[in-house]
Formats: sequence, structure tokens, C-alpha cells
Amino acid sequence: MDRKRIFAVLLAVSLALMLLTVYLAMFYAPLPVMSVKTADGLLTSLEGEDITVAGFAWNVTARMLPSIPEAPPPQLFTLLLFDFSDFERYSNAAQAGELDQPWWTVQPLLVHIKAGGQVGGYITDPIMNGTNLSVTAKIWAPGAYLDENPDQYLLVARGAGSVEVAESSSAFSLVTAPVAQKIFYFHMPSAWVSYLGFFVTLVFSAMYLKSRKPKFDVIAYSAAELGVLFATLALLSGPIWAKEEWGVYWRWNDTKLVTTFILWLVYIGYLMLRAAITEPTTRARVSAVYGILGFVTVPMSLLSSRIAPLLQSGHPVVIATKGGSLSPEAGMTIGFAVIAFTFLFITMLIKRVEVAECEENVEELKRSIGGEE
Amino acid sequence: MLGSMFLFSLLIVLAFRFGFGEAVESAEVSMPFLASSSLWICFSFAAIVGMSSSFAKEKDRETLDGLLLCPVDRGLIYAGKVISNLVLVFFVDVLSIVFFSLFFSYDFGGNVHLVLGVALLGTVSLVLIGTLTAAISVNTRAREVLLPILLIPLIAFSIIIPCVTATRNAIEGNISESVREIVSIAGFAVVFAAVGYLTVDYVLEG
Repeated sequence: MDRKRIFAVLLAVSLALMLLTVYLAMFYAPLPVMSVKTADGLLTSLEGEDITVAGFAWNVTARMLPSIPEAPPPQLFTLLLFDFSDFERYSNAAQAGELDQPWWTVQPLLVHIKAGGQVGGYITDPIMNGTNLSVTAKIWAPGAYLDENPDQYLLVARGAGSVEVAESSSAFSLVTAPVAQKIFYFHMPSAWVSYLGFFVTLVFSAMYLKSRKPKFDVIAYSAAELGVLFATLALLSGPIWAKEEWGVYWRWNDTKLVTTFILWLVYIGYLMLRAAITEPTTRARVSAVYGILGFVTVPMSLLSSRIAPLLQSGHPVVIATKGGSLSPEAGMTIGFAVIAFTFLFITMLIKRVEVAECEENVEELKRSIGGEE
Repeated sequence: MLGSMFLFSLLIVLAFRFGFGEAVESAEVSMPFLASSSLWICFSFAAIVGMSSSFAKEKDRETLDGLLLCPVDRGLIYAGKVISNLVLVFFVDVLSIVFFSLFFSYDFGGNVHLVLGVALLGTVSLVLIGTLTAAISVNTRAREVLLPILLIPLIAFSIIIPCVTATRNAIEGNISESVREIVSIAGFAVVFAAVGYLTVDYVLEG
């Protein structure tokens, strides 16, 4: 009775927090002013495609693109500046696939970059402060050349605010899809909760091996199942955003994406392993070992965007404050979202454990009346 | 079992030869890339075939129970299994390298010894984790299917990616650029050995 009441309170709290998160994400958190990514990831992965990048303009003045030394033929970029201040109009146009329509253009800026030659293209008139600029670039260049020094070829709205070409630094501030960024408030907590779930699996697997209490095995299993569920959500919501922001659904050269995907596969394997063993104690023992083994890959996944990875990662970093990519409001929203998802996870875990215990009781009853083996 | 692994690696290399035949003849694919990736696909799958049968037969013939009755540390049984698997899998690695060299008439840029070195290091790591996973999957009903499902996600990042890069650099003659990969493979070998030694007691029990 008491346990039931605690559960009801937990359920109510987590639902309220989820609603609050939705409210904060929709209405309170501002659209992002800037996010940090590298030109490297942007250009090399999108070769041959139209890309759209955008930023907020401040004191935009005429700047010339630099000349490009020793380029192999042929190089041609077409850059267009769009008025981006009306997000509703933007999203409508994006939905209708009309982003390349001329009525968008606040200032047509065609830049042709030719092999080894001088770069053409100026912004002649000043653009109103606060205008959200979007740059569409059609990339024709072969990837090998872009790999060399990709920073030189992008128009950039930098920290100081002026539109210019980033010549040396590889990090610059642009936001491609400010509206799609809202998904971040659900994507990142899902990923966090899935890591939490896998960690709980690790802990309770080890505790099971030590004490052999079936209860621990049930918790480990339930946490793994929830971890897989939330990892699936993170893996589904990520590409929706990535398509808007990066122009592609998936990047195989992003360590964080690939490791999270592999982690998901590991715990799918864990669930399949459990399904393939009928004898309960063998199942608990063997899957506990695999649960521990599988977690070897988790720290790798979490740290992959910090520690020098085997591959490059262009994934947005949340916790590190390099150039303060989150506004305080957005930071608060994400904080609430993480708390809400964690509560939801705990609530679901408790319920899942209860269900698993019921299942075991049913099995026990079946066995006692000599039914199914 | 050696026979089946021999045939298996022969057939995989043959499949690569047929699959990439036109690309290789028209020189549209870079040989160091093709060699490193196909060799490691071959090594991994041959290792999976070999390691899955290593425990399966003992389980079916109940030799495993006999082994477990021996008054030795379970870690030693694991170590023995690792060594026997290592010999087997490395032998198949060498065979695959020979087959690849024959079918593609390729000399690995004259750096066969480095390719073999990377293969040995990667195989040690692969066998350490593979033997433990094989011991896990042997308890299940669909063990032949389950071993690759359990093993490939674990080795994808820790072994396959760094080994392919290191092998490619070895073929291209600049193995010194792959120090990070080699350290990483060796580090994972240590981690896998430690986890294997510590947890094998629980896997082999009962």
C-alpha cells in the first residue's frame, strides 16, 4: 500500500516534470544564437550537395572572400544570403522545399571560386542588425581538396558578429536550423537516460554476480531494456535534427553517433542473449557477465567527443563551455529536461521491475501446476 | 575445424576477389584500403567461426564438464583456451594474407612483416574478447547466430577500426603514424584480458 503510494507520487512528479519540460522547450527556451561546429565536418561530409547554414548578423559589412591558392580544377561555390528573421516563413518555405526561391533573398551574393583564381562576391549593403542570415552553398569541389583547408570557403557569422570568412580557426558560430534545435531538449536527456540505464545494468549485474539475488538480475534486465528504449529514442531524434542542421541524417565519421549506435547494438545483443537462454540462473549469470562486458563500450561513447578520438567528432558538446554555446534559459530548460527524464526513468524502472516480478510469479505458478516447462 | 576455417578464409578472400574484380583491374580502388579492410573482415569472421566451435564441441561432448572438474583455477582454463584459439586464428590470418597476396597478386608494398605484426596484435585482442564471448554464447540455444551478434559490436570500435587503419598504414610504409591505434589495440587487449580473467569464473560455472 505504501509502496503503491510512493509510486503514484513518482509517476505524478515525472509526468508534471515532463509537461514542464515540454512547456519550457516550446515557449521559454530561446532559439539558439550560435552553436559551434567545425567547417571541416560541414564541408567534407556534404560535398556535392546543397547546404544551408545560417547565423544572426550583427554589424555586417562588406567583406571579400580571400583568394585560394593552388586549387585543382574545377572549384565553384554559389553562396546566397537569405533573410532569416522570420522563422515561421522560414519553416514554411523549408517544408515546401522553397528555400532556394529568389523571394527569400535579402541580398543575392553569388560567389564563384575558381581554380587558383581570385574569389568574387561582396556584401555591398549593410544588413540590418539582428537579421538572421542564412548561407546556401552548393559544393562542387572534390573532397580531397576541401580536406586540405576547408575553413577558407565558408561565410561565417563569428562571435564579433560580422560576416566574414574564417581564415584560420576551425571553429565558428553558425546555426543552421534554429527551430529543429528544439529537439535537443529531448534528444540529449534520452541519451543521458540510456547511459544511466546501461550503468544501472552494470552495477546490478556486478551485484548479482556477488550476491546471487534474483532481484538484482531483474533490475539489471529492466534497466537494460529501458536503456535500449531511450537509446532508440536518442538515435531516432538525432537524425531528425541532423538532417536540418548538417544536411544529412547520419555521419559515419562522428564518433559519438557511431559509438552510441554500437552501444545500442551491444544491449540489443544483451536482450537477445537473455531471450536465448531458458534456464533462469544460467541466464542471470551469463547475461550479467555480458552486461559488464558491454559497458566497456559506454565510457568510450560518452568520452568520445572530449578525448582525442580515433575518428573526428563534430557532435555538439553540451557540458563543456567552449564559447558558451547555451544561453542561461536554454541551460535551465535542458536541466529540467534531464531531471524530468531521470524521474521518468526511475518511475518506469520501478514499474518494469514489478512487471518482471509478476512474470516470474506466473512462471512459478505454471511450473507448480505442471504446465509449461 | 582447422579445415573449415581454412576453407572459410579462402572463400571470403575469393568473394572479395570476385566482388572487387573489376574495380581492382581498372585500378579504381586503392589497394592498401581494400587489402586492410578485406583482411580484417576475413580475420574477424574466420575467428568467429573458429571460436564458436571451440567451446561448442566441448559442451556437446561434455569435455567442458571434465575440464571444470580439474582442480585448477578457471582463469587458467580461459588462458589455455585463449592460447589455443590464438594459434588457430593467427594461422588462419597468415593463410588469408597468403590467399589475398595470391588472388590479387599483391605484395603489401613489401611490408608483409608489419601486416603480420598488426594482425598478431589485433588477433590477441580479438581472441581475448572472443573466447569470453564464445563461452557466454555456448550456453544459449542459437549459439552460432548469437556469437557474431554479441561479439561484433564489442570489437567494432576496439579492434576492427584501429586495426584496419594500422594495417593500411603498415602497407603504405608509414606504421609510425599508427602509434595511437597500436596503443589503443594493446590497451583494449589489457582491458579484455582483465575482464576475461575476472569474469570467466562466472561464465564457466555450472
